[in-house]
Amino acid sequence: MSRGSGAGYDRHITIFSPEGRLYQVEYAFKAVKAAGITSIGVRGKDSVCFVTQKKVPDKLLDQTSVTHLFAVTKFIGLLATGMTADAKSLIAHARNEAANFKFDLGYEIPVDYLAKRIADKSQVYTQHAYMRPLGVSAMLIGIDDEQGPQLYKCDPAGHYFGYKATSSGSKEQEAVNFLEKKIKNNPQLSYDETVQTAISALQSILLEDFKPTEIEVGVVRAGKPEFRVLSTEEIDEHLTAISERD
Amino acid sequence: MGDSQYSFSLTTFSPSGKLVQIEYALMAVGAGQTSLGIKASNGVVIATEKKLPSILVDEASINKIQSLTPNIGVVYSGMGPDSRVLVRKSRKQAQTYQRLYQEPIPLSQLVRETAAVMQEFTQSGGVRPFGVSLLMAGFDDNGPQLYQVDPSGSYFSWKASAIGKNVSNAKTFLEKRYSDDMELEDAIHTAILTLKEGFEGQISGKNIEIGIIDEKRVFKVLTPAEVEDYLAEVE
Repeated sequence: MSRGSGAGYDRHITIFSPEGRLYQVEYAFKAVKAAGITSIGVRGKDSVCFVTQKKVPDKLLDQTSVTHLFAVTKFIGLLATGMTADAKSLIAHARNEAANFKFDLGYEIPVDYLAKRIADKSQVYTQHAYMRPLGVSAMLIGIDDEQGPQLYKCDPAGHYFGYKATSSGSKEQEAVNFLEKKIKNNPQLSYDETVQTAISALQSILLEDFKPTEIEVGVVRAGKPEFRVLSTEEIDEHLTAISERD
Repeated sequence: MGDSQYSFSLTTFSPSGKLVQIEYALMAVGAGQTSLGIKASNGVVIATEKKLPSILVDEASINKIQSLTPNIGVVYSGMGPDSRVLVRKSRKQAQTYQRLYQEPIPLSQLVRETAAVMQEFTQSGGVRPFGVSLLMAGFDDNGPQLYQVDPSGSYFSWKASAIGKNVSNAKTFLEKRYSDDMELEDAIHTAILTLKEGFEGQISGKNIEIGIIDEKRVFKVLTPAEVEDYLAEVE
């Protein structure tokens, strides 16, 4: 049986290293980056959207079955960046939480509370040796009754924050730099501006122009609060608008 | 707690008799943002830095200072996710006491129970210690009190204390400024000045949080606007 604490196992399970770090958690973050895709979320005045790359590694794969966007409830969307199987586990848990909440309390789970529950579960994995942290970063979008459009992100360490805009994945830092410049003056983005900011951010940091089939976009809007994945036609309209603008 | 495969403690004694996992946990606390608390004659104030990793983060979504009961508040330094576990457990313990005795839990008892949880995680199988220190502030029949709880589960009552980065400077500052007959308003100003000492960048109502409790025995977190008012008074 393996004994931890100082015997060099601080890299194998989530116990503290001599500097007070949790290596397993840090490695989980690296696993999110290693997935090879970048995701971006942007919150506007009355809508929120997130965008991710759709990389289909094999031509024989059924493209429609490759997705990182999931509806947790009719009103909350989740974008999982990182290890696919871990993402499925996280989503199953999120859906379970949301359904139990609705059953017990009689109203739809708020986005920030769902983010908290997801993050709390992730925290358990950072403290108990028997389960490793999940290699997934989850972005949640929804329209809250009181707070309006919400964008939350939960990471493998168990942190969760509300964001005006954020990103995850391989080019996370570049995307954040780009978004900080855009959001600096607190612009009140309309629905179209929100979606186009997210898509053009992705195009700019990856230095490529997308075809509508190469990205996935999910949105929620104040008037129509159901979570929706945009169709290829709608994505095409936004891509055209972006290229005409530039 | 933990799976049977990990039914042995991960926190074990080193040959010199130290529990190194706890020491490492304290390092994690020491890397966290500074928090402090001051007990005044008629209340308690706790405060913390709220430095966000990016301007993209919506600072209104983050509440580092939380209330555990209507008359007890808590702030942490160290690993945020770990603090949430303790907040949740403490709230449940407070509620259990309330149900049983039909009375709000005295702060010293809540501190004792929270500390016991933290100690469990230094001894139970398959878990690591919490990477947070807590400052718990409250006003009950024993007057205003401030307690600090560490990852080991040990706790003390303090007149004024600081945790996280920069503690030695903060504590020296507090030692100079503290007086037993200090009133809450003075304490709030002193808390702000202490935070300012080690603060990198421009301090404002958006990058610090302050929680207070006075003789009315209701813990409240100040709004950013209220914090700005106090900051202006300190200038």
